[in-house]
Amino acid sequence: MGGPTWLGYIFAAIMLAVAGYCAARLVAARLWRRPTDLDADGAHVVMGVTMAGMLVVGLRFLSAGVWEGVFAVGAVWFGWQAVRVRRTAPLSEWHCPQPVPHLVECGAMLYMFAAIPVLRSASGGSGISGMGAGISATESRFSLLALALALFMFGWAVWVVDRLRVGTTALAVAVPARAGCADGGRPGGYLAPRCAAMCKVAMGVTMGYMLVTML
Amino acid sequence: MSECFAVGGSAGAQRRTATREHMPALDARRKLQLALSVIWLLDGVLQYQPFMFSKAFPQMLAGTAQGNPTFVAHPIAWSSALIVHHLVAVNSVFATVQVALGLGIAFRPAVKAALAASFLWALGVWWFGEGLGAVLTPNASPLNGAPGAVILYALLAVLLWPADRDSTAPFVAGHAVGRRAAHGLWLVLWASLALFALMPASRAPKTISGFFTSMASGQPGWLAWIDSRAASLVGNQGLLASIVLAVALGLVAVGTYLPVPAARAAIVLAIVLAVVIWLAEGMGGIFTGGGTDPNSGPLLALLAVAYWPAAASGSGVLGSAVPAEGA
Repeated sequence: MGGPTWLGYIFAAIMLAVAGYCAARLVAARLWRRPTDLDADGAHVVMGVTMAGMLVVGLRFLSAGVWEGVFAVGAVWFGWQAVRVRRTAPLSEWHCPQPVPHLVECGAMLYMFAAIPVLRSASGGSGISGMGAGISATESRFSLLALALALFMFGWAVWVVDRLRVGTTALAVAVPARAGCADGGRPGGYLAPRCAAMCKVAMGVTMGYMLVTML
Repeated sequence: MSECFAVGGSAGAQRRTATREHMPALDARRKLQLALSVIWLLDGVLQYQPFMFSKAFPQMLAGTAQGNPTFVAHPIAWSSALIVHHLVAVNSVFATVQVALGLGIAFRPAVKAALAASFLWALGVWWFGEGLGAVLTPNASPLNGAPGAVILYALLAVLLWPADRDSTAPFVAGHAVGRRAAHGLWLVLWASLALFALMPASRAPKTISGFFTSMASGQPGWLAWIDSRAASLVGNQGLLASIVLAVALGLVAVGTYLPVPAARAAIVLAIVLAVVIWLAEGMGGIFTGGGTDPNSGPLLALLAVAYWPAAASGSGVLGSAVPAEGA
């Protein structure tokens, strides 16, 4: 008994769209000198591509070991940023001011690679949605951790949506004209905050779905 | 560019500060609404599981008609047949609606519409999907989900409605409907649970231990261990266990009418009972791949938190009772 593969394709398409959009944000931020969370956007590019590969086998192109290394580095980075935030150390405007959810996202990616052995094969098998029915509670190790991670992802998505009502002026602090800057200090608010929020919500819900299928 | 970054080194802090200053406050009711939103999201995503796209799902729904009167059983049979013939489409709609309800409750401009929609949706599912929670059957028991998890969604939608009919009520659930109505709803719910615990099916010697034993199958090792230990603890003392359970549920039912310290003890007892019920329900079967929702345990616990009485000074455990903008 397997689930509909079309559902995996839909979530994979959403993840690729998020990855593409976040890549565009990185380029746009550079071109237009608009602040954005470079680390979070970069992480979402990588996560979107990886999650698409988990959902649809044909979209995998690197071994699991490579991705695990990438997300381990990401976890260390966001963990370090979380420590700095805790210490109220000044963060660059280009770094995400809420690194903990992204730290958990990296941890969830590592968990998914560790908990489902078949995901470690770069080819063959079915995507995560197709094999979900075949994964028993014992095969998916530490299923309680998967539930906790899924609930965190949903909570994060819900928290972001709760703040979507806020106008752009609240999320975008106008960068003051900086005398002496080579580009003349062109002022500009945070780059498309609502779209960035929608990407976080899509990422959270999709990751939660993947974790729930592993319960 | 490096100068820009040097000067902008504090801009990140500026952005955090400005963001916090402009962020709407999360009062107690809003926090509970967001918790409800998370549960709806989980419910919807569980509906996307492969099991729900198989014929086992409508067969499970059809099973809820058993023991129910005709006016309940016939609509269930009709809905099951409809789902069998349009399984993928119908289940996709179910799941997407539930995810949308969760996100809608979280989106402040849409919270009223989402809560109203969730109320109507819950009533429909309670009838067509849960057979009114088996309350009209002799098998109703709080340990097998009676009066039905989905009716608790409807109850929470009412109690967490963003209105202030009685803004001075000492607990969140009393703000929207008034403290007397809230007390009444609490009493009806927990007293009915106490009544179900004393039904003949629950009083049988091995019924309660049977609930725990049957739920152990297919669960992760730690949950199966808990369920089998609980079954061993109860053993053949089903009558004694059902009486103890009924007394505890009855105490919870009247607890909110008591002074604050006793009311808080009753709320804590309610949360403990919610955990016990959730374990007896196998945590809704969410670890087996066949759970359509987390079942009533988490919802009973959320409901209990909504009745937590604030201290006499006005500040409760959950924070200010003053509603924030839009919620």
